[in-house]
Amino acid sequence: MKWLLRILEDLHPHFGPHGALRRFGPLFEAIDNFFFSSRVSTPGAPHIRDPIDLKRFMTMVVVGLLPCTAAGIYFFGLRVLAVIIVSYVVGGIAEVFFAIIRKEKINEGFLVTGLIFPLVLPPTLPLWMVALGVLFGVVVGKELFGGTGRNLFNPAIAGRCFLALGYPVAMSSGWVIPGSGLAGRLFQYVSVTTVDAITKATPLGLAKQGTITDILPLFVGNVAGCIGETSGLAIVAGGLFLLWTRVANWRIVVSVLVFSSVLAGALHHVSPHSFAPALWHLGAGGLLFGAFFMATDPVTCPATNAGKWIFGALVGIVTILIRSFSGYVEGVMFAILIGNTVAPLLDEMVYKIQMKRLANEA
Amino acid sequence: MSMKGGCTILLQGKPDGQVRILPAAEVFSIPRTTKRFNFSTLCMKDGQKVRRGTVLALDPSSYSVPLLSPCSGTVTTTKEAGHIRIERDAGRETEPDLADFDFPHAPQSADSKGKIRYSLLRNGAWQFLRDAYTAALPDPAGAPQAVIVSTVNLEPFTARGDVQIRNQISSFTRGLEHLQSLLEYQPIYVVFPKVNSAFAQKVRDSVRGYAWVRLLETSTVYPADDFALIARSLGLRSSTGKGVVWGLRTEGVIAMDRVITAHDSVTTRIIGVGGLGIPHPTHLEAPVGYPLSTIREFCGIQAASRVVSGGVFTGTRIGTEQLGIDSECNGITVIPEPEEREFLSFARPCFAKRSYSRAFASAVLPRFFERFTTALRGENRACISCGYCSEVCPARIVPSAIHKLLYQNNIDEVESFLPGRCIGCGLCSYVCPSKIELAAEIIRVRDTIRQEQSIGKAGH
Repeated sequence: MKWLLRILEDLHPHFGPHGALRRFGPLFEAIDNFFFSSRVSTPGAPHIRDPIDLKRFMTMVVVGLLPCTAAGIYFFGLRVLAVIIVSYVVGGIAEVFFAIIRKEKINEGFLVTGLIFPLVLPPTLPLWMVALGVLFGVVVGKELFGGTGRNLFNPAIAGRCFLALGYPVAMSSGWVIPGSGLAGRLFQYVSVTTVDAITKATPLGLAKQGTITDILPLFVGNVAGCIGETSGLAIVAGGLFLLWTRVANWRIVVSVLVFSSVLAGALHHVSPHSFAPALWHLGAGGLLFGAFFMATDPVTCPATNAGKWIFGALVGIVTILIRSFSGYVEGVMFAILIGNTVAPLLDEMVYKIQMKRLANEA
Repeated sequence: MSMKGGCTILLQGKPDGQVRILPAAEVFSIPRTTKRFNFSTLCMKDGQKVRRGTVLALDPSSYSVPLLSPCSGTVTTTKEAGHIRIERDAGRETEPDLADFDFPHAPQSADSKGKIRYSLLRNGAWQFLRDAYTAALPDPAGAPQAVIVSTVNLEPFTARGDVQIRNQISSFTRGLEHLQSLLEYQPIYVVFPKVNSAFAQKVRDSVRGYAWVRLLETSTVYPADDFALIARSLGLRSSTGKGVVWGLRTEGVIAMDRVITAHDSVTTRIIGVGGLGIPHPTHLEAPVGYPLSTIREFCGIQAASRVVSGGVFTGTRIGTEQLGIDSECNGITVIPEPEEREFLSFARPCFAKRSYSRAFASAVLPRFFERFTTALRGENRACISCGYCSEVCPARIVPSAIHKLLYQNNIDEVESFLPGRCIGCGLCSYVCPSKIELAAEIIRVRDTIRQEQSIGKAGH
């Protein structure tokens, strides 16, 4: 790869502070550092640093998402790839645009947003809506707050929420009957016009009509639903990997899953006919995906451990409450948005107690 | 004694157990500033002859701690900026041609213990003491509430405690007895990596009946040997009126023995020389002011590397303007500068990169010693609140929260996050994936607050 390095190093002066293309410096820097690790050394003590950087950090999340992405393509066809590409390209352009205007660095956080966002969409959503959604998520959900690290809401959820409120019909119909067999729908391009592949029934929708889907299909993923949310197996596999790498925090996942199960179990115990069992709640819809990949976004969840437990509890409980008592079939998205809103508050409370205790110590 | 947080990082280039003697030098260049001291008051004139142990300069702001001559010779103060240069007398010990500088005497009110303390100060042993909380030099006129003696140096690559003590156990235990004789009834805590080790038992047996010594076992996770952490875990408060907590390491105890038993002055140090920038990491017995250029040659320090006085986490870079070993140096760490740019490094499995996170394939391997350079290994980004810094922080503060408040210029709020507890270990900067200079920022705030407090105290 010496040739590429030589090209990049030759180009470097043009994008430097005195180069003709200095406006595009952030873009060049992003490309340069994407291919080759930087040669910058530490300014002072400590003189050595841990190899982890944001690129690696975000890459781990992408790796964790690969199983559900693969499952999504298998069950719902090649169109999934098109949705992902649109999301990355449109969101990427917005990201680069803002970096150039603000003369800041392009942030690696987009590697994750660009992939998570399509995974929480229905598989037949028109591509222009995908573009609009990711644009909203990146611009309003993130850049207006100051970019990755300063955003209040998870950008992917902000984008999805925008679509859900703006285009409720497209976002709640046009589900695809999952593929089966060895090849699944790996070689098919299923869109809204593919009449025989479209269904209206997701497990969550069916439950509102009183039909509880079996646990096994929910676990495997051969049910209708959002692209990356159907296969419990793939989500848990990728999610556990993420927890193991310490990129996602286990406290949130445990807290969301425990509190949602306990509440769902209690409701089911009180009235088995009106409320679905806890295991069904875990497998249906986006609860697992939300718990492992969206609630754990370090930027928008609380930073303190105690805050994480409370945040997880809140997300889990609100999800079940919305699913059980409101007109909406799914509550994960709103639950996480509510959690994001109170996260800074939770942190402030926990810090106050923690620091008071420390100050009394010595 | 346990510690929350901390992180042990195994690095290649650990000094071996040898202490090598450097070739004799003809010229010594003694820096007039060190990490804690600024020897601003000169006691010598150009061309004056001195002998080993003569006071060359003083730091008036630190109880007149002296800078001592490492050999007999002729002084030049003007030739090298920031240094005192001594040209050694070839072969013979000359008598000084002027009366020795009149070092400040112990106050009239001082008892016999006080007089010994001043003698330690005069002869270069007092400078090894530090206030456990602030690292400042303790007042020789005052008594401590307790003393912590640490035999472990966990930061790579400072001189190892076991190497310093080797063949000097009797000197160490005698030093502890002398230390005890400076105190009334205050306890001496001696920190060992293992209390049941043969070495610790030997120390206990030989000081039994002399010194009120309590053995403490410490974790060997960096930075468990920090005096502030040990003092806090012992419940020794800094703000009570009972006096400061003294902290000193092995070398300080041995130095006390040298002054009190042998009536000698302390002008050499044992320093560790480690890191990947030299072929044979080892220890050196180096006189203060020993020329760095000779050390570079002697150790084979590679040109493209950073030379640090102290360890990898807290050491300070030695610039080209520094010519000799300073009087507080306890180690030289030589770290190669980064050269190669790795292709798609963020996507490789990386079995050779050890990380606090488990985001590298090396996480499945047993612990190993890592190769390292001064590379930042990433780009500076906004904080994403990953929480690594507060997890590793042994002082239990939240570096990321302090960073965010500083970023917002919210200085008033910063103080409620207790930056004063920071011990400066540098681990927060080390683990940060966004490559934020957390430690440097917090240390700056901490020191500003301390300064304001001391000005406030002086004003009342």
